[in-house]
Amino acid sequence: MSAATLDPPRPAPRSALLAPAPKRVAGEAKIWLTSVGLALGLLMVAGLLWIIIDHGVRVFWPRRVVQMQLKSDSPFEFQGRKIIAGSIVRHAEKIALDAAAIAAAQARGRRPKEWQIYVGNKDAWGQNFIFVDDDAVEAITRPADLLAIERIEYGQAIGEPVALQPKDGAAIAAGDPAFAPKLAALVREVNARRKEIEHLEKDEIGDINAQMERIKLDQKKIGDSAPRRVAALDAIVKTLQGQYEVLARTAGELRAAQGGWTLAYRLPGGEERTMPLGQIVSYYFPNRLTLFQRAGWFARNLRVFLTEEPREANTEGGIFPAIFGTFVMTLLMSLAVMPFGVLAAIYLREYARQGFFVRAVRIAVNNLAGVPSIVFGVFGLGFFVYVVGGAIDSTFYSVHLPNPTFGTGGILWAAATLALMTVPVVIVATEEAISAVPRGMREASLACGASKWQTIQNIILPSSIPGILTGLILAMARGAGEVAPLMLVGVVKLAPSLPLDTVAPFIHLDRKFMHLGFHIYDLGFQSPDSEAAKPMVYATTLLLISLVIVLNLAAIVVRERLRQKYKTGAF
Amino acid sequence: MPNQTPDPKRFQPSKLTLLIDRFMTQFIKVGGVLVIASVLGIFVFIFSQIIPLLRSAEVKSGPAASLPAGNYAAIGADEWSELPFVAALDGKVRFVNPATGAVTENDLGQTFTALRYNARSQEMIGGTADARFAFVKLDYTAGFAKGGRNVTGEAKLGPLQALARAGAPVRAIAFGGDENGKLVGVIQQVGDKLEVHAVSLARKRSLLGGGQLKIEDDRDVTALIPGKPVSILVTAQADALIVAADDGQLHYLFRNGDEFALRQSFKPFGDLANPAIASVDFLFADVSLVATGARGENRVFSLYRKAGDDKRTFGQIKQFPALPGGATFFASSLRNKAFLTGAGSFASLRYSTTEAVRWGAKLPFTIARAFIGGKYDRLLFLDTGAKLHVFTLRDPHPETSFAALFGRVWYEGYPAPAYEWQSSGGSDEFEPKLSLVPLIVGTLKGTLYALLFAVPVALLAALYTSQFLHPNFKGVVKPTMEIMASLPSVVLGFLAALWLAPIIETRVPSILVMVILVPATALGFGYGWSLLPIQMRRRIPPGCEFLVFFPLLLVVLWASWHLGPVVERVCFAVTDPTTGARVGDFRLWWPQVTGASFEQRNSLVVGFMMGFAVIPIVFTIAEDALSNVPLSLTIGSLALGASRWQTAMRIVVPTASAGIFSGLMIGLGRAVGETMIVVMATGNTPVLNWNIFSGMRTLSANIAVELPEAAEHSTLYRTLFLGALLLFIVTFLVNTVAELLRQHLREKYKTV
Repeated sequence: MSAATLDPPRPAPRSALLAPAPKRVAGEAKIWLTSVGLALGLLMVAGLLWIIIDHGVRVFWPRRVVQMQLKSDSPFEFQGRKIIAGSIVRHAEKIALDAAAIAAAQARGRRPKEWQIYVGNKDAWGQNFIFVDDDAVEAITRPADLLAIERIEYGQAIGEPVALQPKDGAAIAAGDPAFAPKLAALVREVNARRKEIEHLEKDEIGDINAQMERIKLDQKKIGDSAPRRVAALDAIVKTLQGQYEVLARTAGELRAAQGGWTLAYRLPGGEERTMPLGQIVSYYFPNRLTLFQRAGWFARNLRVFLTEEPREANTEGGIFPAIFGTFVMTLLMSLAVMPFGVLAAIYLREYARQGFFVRAVRIAVNNLAGVPSIVFGVFGLGFFVYVVGGAIDSTFYSVHLPNPTFGTGGILWAAATLALMTVPVVIVATEEAISAVPRGMREASLACGASKWQTIQNIILPSSIPGILTGLILAMARGAGEVAPLMLVGVVKLAPSLPLDTVAPFIHLDRKFMHLGFHIYDLGFQSPDSEAAKPMVYATTLLLISLVIVLNLAAIVVRERLRQKYKTGAF
Repeated sequence: MPNQTPDPKRFQPSKLTLLIDRFMTQFIKVGGVLVIASVLGIFVFIFSQIIPLLRSAEVKSGPAASLPAGNYAAIGADEWSELPFVAALDGKVRFVNPATGAVTENDLGQTFTALRYNARSQEMIGGTADARFAFVKLDYTAGFAKGGRNVTGEAKLGPLQALARAGAPVRAIAFGGDENGKLVGVIQQVGDKLEVHAVSLARKRSLLGGGQLKIEDDRDVTALIPGKPVSILVTAQADALIVAADDGQLHYLFRNGDEFALRQSFKPFGDLANPAIASVDFLFADVSLVATGARGENRVFSLYRKAGDDKRTFGQIKQFPALPGGATFFASSLRNKAFLTGAGSFASLRYSTTEAVRWGAKLPFTIARAFIGGKYDRLLFLDTGAKLHVFTLRDPHPETSFAALFGRVWYEGYPAPAYEWQSSGGSDEFEPKLSLVPLIVGTLKGTLYALLFAVPVALLAALYTSQFLHPNFKGVVKPTMEIMASLPSVVLGFLAALWLAPIIETRVPSILVMVILVPATALGFGYGWSLLPIQMRRRIPPGCEFLVFFPLLLVVLWASWHLGPVVERVCFAVTDPTTGARVGDFRLWWPQVTGASFEQRNSLVVGFMMGFAVIPIVFTIAEDALSNVPLSLTIGSLALGASRWQTAMRIVVPTASAGIFSGLMIGLGRAVGETMIVVMATGNTPVLNWNIFSGMRTLSANIAVELPEAAEHSTLYRTLFLGALLLFIVTFLVNTVAELLRQHLREKYKTV
């Protein structure tokens, strides 16, 4: 048989040994059909990842700004002008349900295309995005003078710089060689000052507020019983008030200094506008950048995204609080899930008498992993938040009532809910790892006189650590990516403060937090300007996906190591 | 030399070791059992949260207070039912503190011949024998004195206003409306004839602010009513009069400006031997009438648009069990659709929406008047011996019942019974519609379309991977599938809604072409390939078909994408009603041909994206089952000359069928519970259809959308818990069956 001469590479696929017979073999065509499933599945994964990476990475890449000259005979115009400048978001087929338009397009044989353009200058035009018909465009140019300015509010401003105007003194025109260095220096200065204001208002004034809050609660607790102490506390409040006023005045002065210089710029195709430099976060000439400069902007945008706080209803700035919230929540969850999961697994494998009951429990625990996550969220809300949290509030935080402390969603309850959701994963993985420890090792340990616990402690647990780790990593990946239950137990779109900070007691388990997954949901679906939020959503998605995939790959690697270890084990 | 014999104790473990061991044994046992118990306790907790839904009302008798005898015509109370009052026709309003029995009397100094209390506005209207009427405002003030709440009440008589038909005593009176305008319905006795008058009042603005309600129009509408009027009702919206006549007819007079027209006359008990009406009154919101017949028959009629009629008229929507006799008293709740009625000493609390009797009892006294406390927590009865009884009522969840959750319910204003989920509305008068059926159907719909796409792909992939794929690729394929399983559903949902849905919207025909073309190409290419001589065929080693197929697949997908619009123009053309031109557009074609809607975020999108969640699960389990079929079986089959396809289909698949089925079950479980994809990629409208191009709302999405807004322990909260419990039970059962199947399979493989 010719099949015998086929030399399959390394361990032969078992059915391939005899595979292609000389003549027609029954069912070969259908095998091709089955390969569709695999090809399609792999293509889906690859396609999805590609879309996310493509869209996600593009967000950070500084886009060129084009200027479009519209045809004079076309009825299309934007705010009464025929010139549009902005960055191209998309150039795609027009989506319109106007039957006449479709009929006309079909008569011509192709659907009309349109440009979606980010024009910025929302303060001037009231909108960020416009759609321009392909047919209406006369010419597209990339003027080098166009300046893109990222501002604190209203997104980008796009226009030609005209002059820098100090509060009193002579203006520096854009043509002046001193213009560019002066602008750079001023923007640096403004940003430094903004940081200082932020520090003053958020940290120092926030600190004072927290202290005053605490004193007020103390006073409420003391009530009328000790008027001397109340008076003493009043005195402290007074000094704090004084400190507050000093800080507030400093912040006010800094704020006033932010408006010291103004930048005059000209909108594409029209009027001049000015903005105080205090508004500017950064600026660049998009059409003058070299590749290296672009790469530099890419790195800078990435850094901002990862380390800064969101601005403008989360559509600008960074997502640091969400990253941090996800991290802390996952950490808390791991702290809860690890000991309990391992404990339960050791009990099931080593201590419980194996029989029908344990088998049933094992199946039940196993199946809990398949129960929808939202059910755990419902449980977390009903039990952790309302029952446990309510009890904690009425015993320890009754002064704060009716404002709930733990009786509302918070990071502790979110972590507890996810821990409950992922504990079956850890139990199953640990059990598997424990049962994979060779019987010989166990018996040898016992024969040497070790007690049962000593055997577990010194033999079984160390050798099953990779397995436990795999379970934990998988649990973390699931916990980090889960959103539905969190929506019920404490995630918010914008948390005023982080769950970990420098104010005693440092970790605030009752605080609400931000989460990457929820950030995606919230930005994409609850945002007032969902089109403007899209880049942030894609970037966040990229980050979340990377996190989850890295965790999963880690689990896979650890598991492979484990497998090899037992393959080559001496037992 | 010291004694050389070793100490026998050296073989004994140290006490500490033993102690630790004993401690750890106990610790692990207790801890392990606790962890497992708490994990399983989830079910118990969720179940405990829904039990109150199924409880009926609890009514306990409370204090009673004796009043002086009188002809009491109205009974009411303040919002907290702390200070009830009764009003007698002789103009005496008596406030009673049931706890102390203290009675404060407030003499209005005016006798009435008819009196009616409107609990919603805390106002009475009284008609006199000399054809005048006046409003009586009941003012409650709550103060804090001596460490407790102290409620005082006062009845204030407004100015008397004369009716147009002077001298005719008022027999019945009712009103509706707000402080800017009211409608008063009056029945006056003129000789031995009864006349019905509709009096409209409007606030006259004066320079000195305020102003008073003055009669604008007094209209005799007797001519519109055949028969002898007995009682009269006015809607709270002041837009209609309902007059009951002695022949058992109800007449519905609709107001249009100042004009009145008889819109409907009907006999609520026309089908019975004795059609007389014993009592008729409005339910909260004044769109439904509760009528009782002479023998205690109890029916609810609601305003709705009947087929072929654009005006709302009354039709029967509920039928309650009969009372022991014609109703002698009636009270409706101010919070929900509950009403209290009864005959003689029998009282019954009923709930219109669920058509359920919440409570019923024979009381040790004969009831003359009754009232339901403003917070639906008290029942007040005034007996014929002028004694006021206060009963406490505990009925937190009257809005649901098993039948209302899972059956058709005829809601107020609906033309027919319906399955409907609508938990909140614009006003307090809203009737919550808590049927789980649309959500269950939505869940099944989402699951169906997800499985329709995912199962073929996953099973084909599993079959190929386990039976035909070259082993070298397995190390890549399986982790890739695992990564697919780990994709967070929020990401899938986001891509489905914001990326996929807009793309697919205009390219449905392309998708259809793909569904046909992709498998057809595979089969065709495979067939063609197998016809080629062996020398050619050998170019593609077995197990690498999918690599070859990759570019082919891309080409086919690309071709289908561009073929779609062509197909659309040919097959899905509709005539545009405005221009008359033929337009090929699927989005127009689908609604025109099937009558079903076409939405951008539809089940097709959801089904595809859920594929990402379901495919890897089904794939992994099915692949495991297929790969673990004992090698001896495959080898035997191949040795007997079967081809690899024959071996796969006739030996491997049947042997592993239980495992494949278990994979399907677990995939089903995942699809049923999927939340974020559905929340994001559908419109979340609870609909009751299987249209692939419309959205849906699933049980899980419903929880995610509504639970954050639901008040703790409200009916909605508990109903959502019930939804969660259903999900829990379904997924748990499905997974358990799947697990048992797999265990069975493992046993089977051992014995082969």
